[in-house]
Amino acid sequence: MGAYADMTLQEQMLLKHEVEEFLFMEADLLDSRRYDDWLAVLADDIHYWMPIRRTTTAREVELEFTKPGGMAFFDDDKTVLTLRIQRLSVGRAWAEDPPSRTRRLVTNVRLLSVDGDEINVGCNFKLYRTRLNSEEDSWIGRREDLLRRVDGGFKLARRHIFLEQTVILSQNMSSLF
Amino acid sequence: MSETIIATDRRINPADCFDPDTGVLQRRIFSDQEIYREELRRIFGRAWNFMCHESQLPAAGDFFMNWIGEDEVIAVRNRNGEINVLLNSCPHRGNTVCRAELGNTNSFFCSYHGWNFDLDGRLIGMPGEDQFYRGSVDKTAWGLTPAAKVESYRGFVFATLDPAAPDLKDYLGWVGRLGIDFIASKGEIRFLDGVQKNRIQCNWKLAVDNLFDWYHVKVSHGTALKLGVVGEESMSPMEQMVVLGEYGHAISGPGISEARYQEAVQRVSEGGEDGEWFDREVARRVQPGVAEQLGALGKRSFGHPNIFPNLWVNLTPQLCLRIPRGPFETELWWFTYEVEGMSEKDRKFLQFMANHIFGPAGLLEQDDGENWSHSTRGAKGSFGQGLPLNYAMGLGADQMQSASDGQSGIETVVSEHAQRWLYNSWQEWMLADSWQDLMASHAMPPTQGTI
Repeated sequence: MGAYADMTLQEQMLLKHEVEEFLFMEADLLDSRRYDDWLAVLADDIHYWMPIRRTTTAREVELEFTKPGGMAFFDDDKTVLTLRIQRLSVGRAWAEDPPSRTRRLVTNVRLLSVDGDEINVGCNFKLYRTRLNSEEDSWIGRREDLLRRVDGGFKLARRHIFLEQTVILSQNMSSLF
Repeated sequence: MSETIIATDRRINPADCFDPDTGVLQRRIFSDQEIYREELRRIFGRAWNFMCHESQLPAAGDFFMNWIGEDEVIAVRNRNGEINVLLNSCPHRGNTVCRAELGNTNSFFCSYHGWNFDLDGRLIGMPGEDQFYRGSVDKTAWGLTPAAKVESYRGFVFATLDPAAPDLKDYLGWVGRLGIDFIASKGEIRFLDGVQKNRIQCNWKLAVDNLFDWYHVKVSHGTALKLGVVGEESMSPMEQMVVLGEYGHAISGPGISEARYQEAVQRVSEGGEDGEWFDREVARRVQPGVAEQLGALGKRSFGHPNIFPNLWVNLTPQLCLRIPRGPFETELWWFTYEVEGMSEKDRKFLQFMANHIFGPAGLLEQDDGENWSHSTRGAKGSFGQGLPLNYAMGLGADQMQSASDGQSGIETVVSEHAQRWLYNSWQEWMLADSWQDLMASHAMPPTQGTI
């Protein structure tokens, strides 16, 4: 693959279709609780990061997100993501026992750049969680994902998650984004 | 005991809510609206409340928003380098004068009518001062309301709204100071950018009493043990120490014997830090003067300190503030610190703990919320709220011990001594009508005898 701008419209549409199929499938793995299959689509060098967002004045809006190296809600490599998945099956993971019911909506998908086998993808998401009888959480945000073409498919090599909430209005974030 | 709170039969007297002799606590303190309103007034309105660390406000005009109970306050560094704490409320209509949670500013400008306040809260400008007010306003009388007192201990800034409060150092006492000394003695402390904030549908006191609780660890956080994220020894050590402080401060958690401490000193002096889980801490405590400062018991404690009412100081690199948002909601704020000049190995460990253990997505912490919200729910039902809770673990089974340097504590197994002390102190705060009253009526922690 070459640079995105050098591609014909038809090539762009085909690539976007491929990317969307991957993102929808990947979201479905989490919604379907197929966690080991989800781990399998992660690249070994994945960086999974959700900075903290703050309310700032318009003048100082560059302070809105914490920077890499500062504090974050998630700042995970594959080892930590694997722990997050493993915890669900070893027992006593009370935040997810009984299991939450989740649905992920992935939308506004855009190909931001293409560099060789790597595609930088922007999208919006809504992650809806309900658990027990009446508890509801809803997280909306933007993601920047790096997809890497490996063996004819994609691996997720980077996921940066930018939530709209500053104070997280939930008792925890035991779901993956 | 004072009966000032009993006005009608429907009100609840805090004196009836906890019995230190039996360890029985009444559930309704976690759900009663009147109790909650009185807590805001009698506890948060009087106590020294944690605001920020000085390193969060390096320059003049730097500010950080916080809360004292349900009153929002701005901690701001002024042009003289001092930190002010100002009520975020314009004296004209009550509107907030600052809407950002942090930043840097020259002044606080009210978005309603344009009253403008300097970094000391002085009213420095108001549209129409001559034309509409005809020059009749005494601007010196209409500034932002400052906290009654602002003081810091080793860089940790606290404020109180009550001018009758004792000085911060006296308020903290040796136990509150020890809680801060645990981390301040590691070296120059710097708070990292970014406070993790989230809301739990629980009463604030349940979040506070949990930090003393080493009984829940293996059950609530069993996954972390099974995954090997934290070791069995550090998660639920059999040797525990509880230290009780004036006004409700306490430290509860692991504490080792003098013999084990000396063995650790030997190991770290030979260059090893991985023999026992506490060796990493002991390695800091053998630095010149540190163990002496922490004291004969303090140097052997690795427990969880709470600065009453709501600041958990954690040996892992975080502090957690539990801010009340009504009787059924609490906001948790996780602050993270690092130590200047720390080794890369220590920094990696601290970052792992901060990013992956606590906070709303933490491998440990995510399992706490539902327990606290459902415990709060257990205090809501019209039948359930009339039922007692059992806080009797270890009651009457231990001895207070005093060291030659004057420190005293309880060397024991997992217990609920600190929780009982918390609720006993809560009761004193709720029954006192003033700081003067509280100073006269509060119990001093025992230094000897059965507890």
